[in-house]
Amino acid sequence: MEHHASLFAKWLTQVLGLAQHPWPGFAHGAALSVLERYDHLLNAALAALLAMLLTTLVRRNLTRIPGPFQQVFEGVVGGLKDMINDNIAHHGENYLPFIGTMALFVFFNNLFGLLPGLSPGTSNWNVTLGAALVVFGYYNFHGMREQGFVKYWAHFAGPIWWLAPLMFPLEILGLLSRILSHSLRLFGNIAGEHVVAGIFFGLMPILLPVPMMFLGLFFGLIQTFVFTMLATIYLSGAVSHEH
Amino acid sequence: MKKFLTTAFLFTLAAVAFAQGAPAVQKSLFEGQYVAHLSLAIAAAGCGLAQGKAVVAACEGVARNPQAAGNIRTTMIIGLALIEALVIYVLVAAFAIK
Repeated sequence: MEHHASLFAKWLTQVLGLAQHPWPGFAHGAALSVLERYDHLLNAALAALLAMLLTTLVRRNLTRIPGPFQQVFEGVVGGLKDMINDNIAHHGENYLPFIGTMALFVFFNNLFGLLPGLSPGTSNWNVTLGAALVVFGYYNFHGMREQGFVKYWAHFAGPIWWLAPLMFPLEILGLLSRILSHSLRLFGNIAGEHVVAGIFFGLMPILLPVPMMFLGLFFGLIQTFVFTMLATIYLSGAVSHEH
Repeated sequence: MKKFLTTAFLFTLAAVAFAQGAPAVQKSLFEGQYVAHLSLAIAAAGCGLAQGKAVVAACEGVARNPQAAGNIRTTMIIGLALIEALVIYVLVAAFAIK
């Protein structure tokens, strides 16, 4: 995929007067500044900052009679809580902060493509891979903490001892390929949607991209939901005790 | 099946026709963009069939038991996303080929 730096990164490069130089094996030797080269990180950081800012504002101004913002966030937290409690049997609410953080991060990143001059951080595989790796590390850590190191890994060997040499490598492979599927699903959806919206924009910049952008809004929400749901399911598979 | 084969044949012809319009570097039908486009088309067709079946089942479920609509919708959306992910893998591969 050829690289198009977002307009915001280009503008910031000019404002800050950053040096531009070609990057080895990247973008056909075009001169890019560090911000333009790593604009996915810039977008992801901006989205994360926006999420932190909004949540902090809501948290500061909590009232007994909720305003519109607080109501939206209460709905989000309530929905996430219900989802986690549905999937994780015991004290699932311990995992709410992490799952909620991932959900907000992914959601704001997905919607960043709708702002002019920016592109969604999740339309770059590096960002989604990072998110998927964090989720992977988290559920493995908590699986080992809940079940104990030996029991957690013995779980992958299956119930029949003489099948273990066959099952263990397969299960480990399955565990590792979760990272790939978890990250590629999000990346492909958001990147594909963004590319199609870009093509529509190239055909006719006025009005034509609007339905696609609306679809982008919808997809962003759905993909956030799927990403969060899968993270919860993986987590519940890791931490639940089997009797 | 016959219809499918005819369509596939026509697509192949179209690819040849487009290839002849292209400048000097002649690509075979089984490398580069053609493979990307064709594989994406096949994947999208399969995904359409599969998602159609999923939605049909969900609709029937809701029609028979409207009270379960919420749960069915959630499950359906997750299932649809998982089916769609297969096409997305092909899309990523198509990007990579180009």
